Amino acid sequence: MRIDRRIGALVAVLSSTVLLTSCSNKNISGLGFQKGVSSVNDTTGPLWYWSWVAAGVVGVFTFILIMWPVVFHRKKNEDFPKQTRYNIPVEIAYTLIPLVIVAILFGFTVKDQQKITKVDTFATAPHNIHVNAIQWSWQFTYNDAPSAPTVTGTPAQPPELVLPLGEKVLFTVTASDVDHGFWIPDFMMQMQALPHVENHVEFAAQKIGTYPGRCNMLCGRSHSEMLFVVKVVSVADYRTYINSLKAV
Amino acid sequence: MTTFAEPAISTTPTYAARAPKGQSKGRLFVKWITSTDHKTIGYLYLTTSFAWFLVAGVLALLLRTELARPGMQFLSAEQYNQIFTMHGTIMLLMFATPLFVGFANVIMPLQIGAADVAFPRLNMLSYWLYLFGGLMAFGGFLTPGGAASFGWTAYAPLSNSQYSPGIGGDLWVIGLAISGLGTILGGVNFVTTIFTMRAPGMTMFRMSIFSWNVLLTSILVLLAFPPLAAALLGLESDRLFGSHLFDSANGGAMLWQHLFWFFGHPEVYILALPFFGIATEILPVFSRKPIFGYKGLIAATIGIAALSVSVWAHHMYASGQVLLSFFSFMTFLIGVPTGVKFFNWIGTMWGGAVTFETPMLFVMGFLVTFLFGGLTGIILASPPMDFAVSASYFVVAHFHYVLFGTVVFAMFGGFYFWWPKMTGHMLNERLGKVHFWTLFFGFHLTFLIQHWLGIKGMPRRYADYLATDGFTTMNMISTVGSFLLALSMIPFAINIWISRKSPKVTVDDPWGYGASLEWATSCPPPRHNFTSLPRIRSERPAFDLHYPHMAHEDGGH
Repeated sequence: MRIDRRIGALVAVLSSTVLLTSCSNKNISGLGFQKGVSSVNDTTGPLWYWSWVAAGVVGVFTFILIMWPVVFHRKKNEDFPKQTRYNIPVEIAYTLIPLVIVAILFGFTVKDQQKITKVDTFATAPHNIHVNAIQWSWQFTYNDAPSAPTVTGTPAQPPELVLPLGEKVLFTVTASDVDHGFWIPDFMMQMQALPHVENHVEFAAQKIGTYPGRCNMLCGRSHSEMLFVVKVVSVADYRTYINSLKAV
Repeated sequence: MTTFAEPAISTTPTYAARAPKGQSKGRLFVKWITSTDHKTIGYLYLTTSFAWFLVAGVLALLLRTELARPGMQFLSAEQYNQIFTMHGTIMLLMFATPLFVGFANVIMPLQIGAADVAFPRLNMLSYWLYLFGGLMAFGGFLTPGGAASFGWTAYAPLSNSQYSPGIGGDLWVIGLAISGLGTILGGVNFVTTIFTMRAPGMTMFRMSIFSWNVLLTSILVLLAFPPLAAALLGLESDRLFGSHLFDSANGGAMLWQHLFWFFGHPEVYILALPFFGIATEILPVFSRKPIFGYKGLIAATIGIAALSVSVWAHHMYASGQVLLSFFSFMTFLIGVPTGVKFFNWIGTMWGGAVTFETPMLFVMGFLVTFLFGGLTGIILASPPMDFAVSASYFVVAHFHYVLFGTVVFAMFGGFYFWWPKMTGHMLNERLGKVHFWTLFFGFHLTFLIQHWLGIKGMPRRYADYLATDGFTTMNMISTVGSFLLALSMIPFAINIWISRKSPKVTVDDPWGYGASLEWATSCPPPRHNFTSLPRIRSERPAFDLHYPHMAHEDGGH
């Protein structure tokens, strides 16, 4: 009778965990991220998905192990339980198995990391955009156009970053004053914009549309107003756009 | 010798920290602030750090209230920056770190059978450095420009006098340097105490896990806090004398990040290890079993401490300036000994006679919360995934799961567990359970949703967001949760208040199955802790004393 109630409680706890983690996601396959919107998503998306699957398995397994004695190994009488102190085979297993799991995760991490951090040189990159972060907005310089025009935003008027569909762009990211962060959440990518440092990141936007961009490194009073809008257009429209900008 | 004979004048061994009848409040006050008793100093640390916990908690409620809806509600962006800077600073350096010093002071000498710490006066000096350093940093709120507003990480060049002018920033830098000195001296004290003042028979491998973790934490303090002191003094030299240590033209932006995180990551383990220790003390007592895999658990803790100084740059993946694979590998590796600890804890409960008094309940809350925080830690250890969510609310959620899960849940576990040892009175079980469940649901309601906020693109340290961002509902849920969390302090406060009237604890071990040495002396212990010491022949001397027929001797020495 008592045991039945405990099993019931355990089942209730476990099933509610499963329900809570599964029903709130419409696009379960991306676990919060859209597939294919950038070349980074193509690489990091599956890693993100399968890492969560692995984390879910390990998490649920460990949770059951925690809850098992909570439900089944409660004090029943005044007798002392067996005073087990060591169990060498079990101890070796729970050291080696996690080691294998993290080794596998590390293998996939290195493979994907090499893909998303690979950059062309300035000369070989299909497109070049220079990103300069300033308190508290952004300057985008399109080095593709002969006159290398610059677009400068303000906190009240966040600038647009126009990107060509499906073609890789090499971003050179820096800052004029303090540390900033160049982050496009939907593209699963960010890079710190540091003064007197030039960072490089390269990826292709793969779906027409507009996406929010945000500074994610604290940079002073108006940090939360340091926004920009990423606008992905066809390559032809991109050419038209950068040629329409006046050189500064 | 490490024990003192108690003077025979006292029939009750409880005169130490309690006022005899007729002693005025003023005399008691003077006695407390001039004490060199490790227990009294420990109580000062515990109450002061808990007061800071409440202060920083109120700051957190201000932040959550501001974020409940889009648009600025009642704070300016500058005020918001000051508040989250001080929230982080206080929680990490004026609450959690000195809370470790408090628990270590009260409990560790008892557990190793020492009469006091090695340097009792230095101990009190450390406390004063901590108290005034903390008040100094917080005092920035009283200055015209307000408190420091560059985040608790104080990234240069934002933290220099050009971008963050004002005396509030200087008070912050020097206040932390002073309180950090107190922490360093505390570390020296604990290392010396553990190495030189253990009772006869108390070998290293009979020492309780909490005392082991105090030792390893103190070693980490000695490794991590001096670089922080150097960084802080360098920053102040830049601010005050116009030096160029952290000038970005000389690579100062990266230099600060490296120095800060070389402190900052070991600091996370300085906060975690002692509280792992508290959980490890509580689990065997309420499972009526010894710790499972005691030596493996110590090895895992040594492993964590060693690895913790080689993973700092995982806070800097997105800087584009660090060797990703190395730091990623070391970070993944630290997951292994952490996993080992989980199985030690589970193994201790496994096949036991488990009961759920309030301390045990808080340890269960710790296990479940820290499990999830650990898993998101493994996700963040991978640079590609870190690039997706770094510096977002995902990270905010992750470190609150890790730090709140560890420090706060284990702290309350420790309070309920050792309250009779410290005061001679039990806390109320029913109120304790109300406290736990309110805290547990409040915490998860506040922070679980923040993982989604981060994935959906909300950066940390944003004073505001747009109605079109789609963050409103999630922020609202989080804010409601934070108020539920805050309400959980009420049953705890009532509990403390009514415990003064609860019956006096007359036995050494009110829980009945205590293992370590503090359960072999009275509640509260006499001035020099023990009137007599039991034989120490295993890692459970108090248990052996109370249950001689169960005694296990770990092979002679």
